[in-house]
Amino acid sequence: MSFGEMFVSGLSAVFAGGQFLMVILAIVLGTIFGALPGVSATMAVALGLTFTYTMGPVPAIVFLTAIYCSSITGGSITAILFKIPGVPSSAPTTFDGYPMAQRGEAGKALGIALLASAVGGLFSAIVMFAMASPLAKAALAFGQGDLFAITFLGLSILSVLDMDHILTTIISGLIGLLLACIGQDPQAGVTRLTFGSRELMAGVDMIPVLIGLFAVTEVLKQTNAKKRLSAQDGVGGTNGKVSTKMPSLKEVWGVKWTLLRCSVVGTVIGILPGAGATIASFMCYTMENKLSKYPEKFGTGIIDGIAASEASNNAATGGAMVPLLCLGIPGGNAAAVMASALALKGVQMGPLLLTNQPEYLSATFITMIVTNILMVIVAMGIAKVFAQILAIPYFYLGPIIIMLAVIGSYSEGAAIGVFIMVLAGALGIAVKYMHLNSAAIVLGLVLGRMCEEHFSRAYVMNRANVFQALFGTPIAAIVMSACILMLLSPLYLPLLKKLTGKKAKAN
Amino acid sequence: MFELFCNVLLVVFLGYTYFTHVLEAKIPKSYLKNPNNLMPDVWPKLIIILLMICLIANIVKIILKNKNNKDFNLKTFGKNSWEFLKSKMFLGMVVLAAAAFVLEYLGFVVTAFLVLFFYGMLLGEKKIWRLLIVSVVLAFVLHLLFCGLLDVNLPRGEVPFLRNMALFLESLV
Repeated sequence: MSFGEMFVSGLSAVFAGGQFLMVILAIVLGTIFGALPGVSATMAVALGLTFTYTMGPVPAIVFLTAIYCSSITGGSITAILFKIPGVPSSAPTTFDGYPMAQRGEAGKALGIALLASAVGGLFSAIVMFAMASPLAKAALAFGQGDLFAITFLGLSILSVLDMDHILTTIISGLIGLLLACIGQDPQAGVTRLTFGSRELMAGVDMIPVLIGLFAVTEVLKQTNAKKRLSAQDGVGGTNGKVSTKMPSLKEVWGVKWTLLRCSVVGTVIGILPGAGATIASFMCYTMENKLSKYPEKFGTGIIDGIAASEASNNAATGGAMVPLLCLGIPGGNAAAVMASALALKGVQMGPLLLTNQPEYLSATFITMIVTNILMVIVAMGIAKVFAQILAIPYFYLGPIIIMLAVIGSYSEGAAIGVFIMVLAGALGIAVKYMHLNSAAIVLGLVLGRMCEEHFSRAYVMNRANVFQALFGTPIAAIVMSACILMLLSPLYLPLLKKLTGKKAKAN
Repeated sequence: MFELFCNVLLVVFLGYTYFTHVLEAKIPKSYLKNPNNLMPDVWPKLIIILLMICLIANIVKIILKNKNNKDFNLKTFGKNSWEFLKSKMFLGMVVLAAAAFVLEYLGFVVTAFLVLFFYGMLLGEKKIWRLLIVSVVLAFVLHLLFCGLLDVNLPRGEVPFLRNMALFLESLV
């Protein structure tokens, strides 16, 4: 099937009969699921699956893809309004989105988040549609050493995440990595660090930790605060009414390079098996911080930070569909649910999909394009509804957030999830007093298991030769060299700054 | 001082973990046969060692930073700790921990009511009757929405009466 034929086939799949209405319904559902604190993108796709049992394969793919894409965007709504990332990849959005909401600029923050999401999502969908075939062939050639190097690149970001507190940031990252070791080891299946708990044998579930660290900690902090967050304070005296006005053209033009860079990087990260939207958003946020002319403003509430996070995580969803469809490798939890849902509908994921069932591939990518355009309008309306929630007094809103957190943690893995959530909430408070970095803990936890798996496989395949495992292929060698440069940057960057400062003085 | 205390506690805990809990079961013989396999304890041990080195460096840094700080002593630490234990934040943690313990036994509806009511009081709502009514309504609404409509798995409780009540609520949707 040619490119043109695939395009027409995809369009007919999305616009045929009542299918377009189903896409709109899926976007509404996905955005609401993504925005609901405690309902992750994984849960959104899983919940969406129940609607598709009576559908044919193509409508089901269209419906689930629309839910998957819009849930990632929906996560930014609560990340901005409540500092609760609806999905893990929205965590960096809280860094600048929440301070903006507190300043009374929630509307602008939401506007840029939705616009950036649409740009990132559209970019990746279009690029992926054109490049699916060659990229799938290239990805087939990736070895375990390459995969480890790419995952390690995500970890190396820790060293530049907060350069002023490098030691505590590294400690935080290592705590996250250690938490990821809990449970059975990926190769031999031997239990580690469970302290005799059966529930921990499967490892620490990421969702309760994220909910605890971000949502519960915030409510606990507010419990002690003398002047609590309320509708009036929270959104700048607007009585809970947040206008989802779009940012001005001048403001969008100001972040054009951020949008472009993060869309490109997000798409590339998304396509790599194992890496996903969370790595993309953290990596792009840090990258933009480094490239910015005003890095000190990052984290204080600027649109650049939101644009970086949202453009990249949505771009990664487009990329993540390629290893899923062309290799059958899910990039993350949500993609894993998508994989099982598509398999249920008879989709044979793998390199033969392009030859045997090209209509499935085209339906997926056209749905992504349509969803990313419609999502801006739908999410605006939903954001307005969510903004009204801020009008509720905090003595009602706080406990409601706690209960939503309990629901999200329990549905992921029984009561142990709630215990983990409470512990993570307490850890969040300890993190505050110990001057540690929550984002680094999360990054370590997300990447830890992946990193260990890829390294141990590369180690075996290279007959216990560590050097060969790390630098054995050109891709691995280049990426690992970049990692080393990044890790050593706290040592040589101050020296370089001193040297350049001295030169400037001498001149 | 709290920061120093936590760092020291972490070092001690990690030391204990390193020697006792890194491996909690025997490595299968079939796995040991291949000399090229990475042993399951290597990765966590490497992380623990790196973490301990960083923590010790941080302890030294904290001590040096607070060399001339008059409040950096055990007496102030004890006083601050007592203040923390009396704070609303700590009470909030206790409420959450209690909720985690009773969740499966009492079920979601009752736990939600208790959390909404007690946490609402903790956050400063003085109109108790209003809070009571809102908590009951919200507990029912949350259960109906997530368990009934969205089919999210939530505990119904082990007490027969409470379990029947949850089932009745779900049957309404």
